[in-house]
Amino acid sequence: MLPLQSEVLLPERIAGILGLSGTVGQIVGGLIGAFLIANILLIQTAVAGPWAKRKITAAFTDRIAVNRVGPFGLLVIVADAVRLLSKELVIPEGVDRPAYDLGPLLVPFSALLGFAVIPMGNGIHLADPETGAVFAFAASSIASLGLVMMGYASNNKYSLLGGLRAIASNIAYEIPLIVTAVSVIIFTGSLQMSEIVAQQTDPLLSVAGVTIPQWFAFVNPFAFVLFVIANLAEVGRNPFDVPEAPTEIVAGYQTEYSSVYFVLIYLGEFIHIFLGGALAATLFLGGPAGPVLPGFVWFLIKIWGFYLFTQWARSAIPRLRIDQFLDIGWKGMLVLSFANLVLTAVIVGVIA
Amino acid sequence: MSEWIAIGALALVAVGIPLGMMAVSAILRPSVPEQGKRATYESGEVPTGTARVQFNIQYYMVALLFLVFDIETVLIFPWAVIYRPALDQGVALSTVLLPMLAFVGVLVVGLVWAWRNGAIKWVKSPLANRQKTERNA
Repeated sequence: MLPLQSEVLLPERIAGILGLSGTVGQIVGGLIGAFLIANILLIQTAVAGPWAKRKITAAFTDRIAVNRVGPFGLLVIVADAVRLLSKELVIPEGVDRPAYDLGPLLVPFSALLGFAVIPMGNGIHLADPETGAVFAFAASSIASLGLVMMGYASNNKYSLLGGLRAIASNIAYEIPLIVTAVSVIIFTGSLQMSEIVAQQTDPLLSVAGVTIPQWFAFVNPFAFVLFVIANLAEVGRNPFDVPEAPTEIVAGYQTEYSSVYFVLIYLGEFIHIFLGGALAATLFLGGPAGPVLPGFVWFLIKIWGFYLFTQWARSAIPRLRIDQFLDIGWKGMLVLSFANLVLTAVIVGVIA
Repeated sequence: MSEWIAIGALALVAVGIPLGMMAVSAILRPSVPEQGKRATYESGEVPTGTARVQFNIQYYMVALLFLVFDIETVLIFPWAVIYRPALDQGVALSTVLLPMLAFVGVLVVGLVWAWRNGAIKWVKSPLANRQKTERNA
């Protein structure tokens, strides 16, 4: 079986294959590795966005979705990509020009950047800085900036409200998200992603010859639930999709975007869902670890599991009202996450 | 150091891919300028007034509250990293835990104050309050 994590990171391995060394090797290896990782994500998003989302929603609402083009309708991905990219770009009057164009760029940028530190198994790991966990959260937070830029620059009242709501929701749920992640850091004593994954391979207990690994979702299920809920709010899916809220404010910050900008916003949102899943997998579900199958496959299973969960929630749960939404964030999740942090610290302190 | 080169490379790619998509789209898409097409969407009506409308003060209050707690989370990270190694090296529990408990406690007192003060309670306009139905009251 392949080792879960290799000591050699992806850029170095590519540089080794190409026979390059030194700074040139690092730069070339880094670029090729980054390109590979970005493409892995683009493929996931291409399957998730135009195809899987429709199929899942259709299954929940007892319909048949796309099934005309190709096997299982899979070629609709190609058709949709061409269709969306070849739409006319309508730029409304009075938009704030640089911000209007930069907003849709920032959203996929931040989501892709977060994947730099995520270990995907089988040595597919671009970079492993000591501050990995913090970096991933910091990178994924840049998206809020893009959302507020889009909302403000669109010259549309719905967009402005959507941008404000996006900011309010991101900041309200970011603190529970990070504080819950900190309760994992207390166990690991390290922010390095490879170290966090390595610690979760330790056995927790053995039941009838089956060893259950020390995944932090098993060690602290309460934190895992909090993390997943906060994550759902961060990626803006039901029941927390107040920033878009199609029945209230049209489409929120993306009302005035068409053509390639619309594609970029959607791309960014889907990569964000996968980034949320990847963070949950790395911090709580042992990263790419799993029996029998190779690590990368397990990693994909885990992030797709989170994606399925978001789509399930989208089909099953009604949207919260904005005041309820902020109440749950500030009065519920925040308090619970701090309670979780303090309790974890006390329990670790007493046991250790 | 090489880690940050790789991250920088991903940052380049993450800008490059959207730019590439924009270039492809620029080649593919038509341009059909028309009267009224560029009006902003306002449910089919002609847009009235400026788009930069007055909005609920609540967003501002919540943002202020966020600043406090965001800085708190940043300060909690170093503590969380050294917490277990320090315990393993035999530092007393009270020495590692109590300062952070006090720090979190101060902020929780702040949160309780904001809560009771109504800073995180959603403000309704006087108009919306007058239109309250019996059920909401």
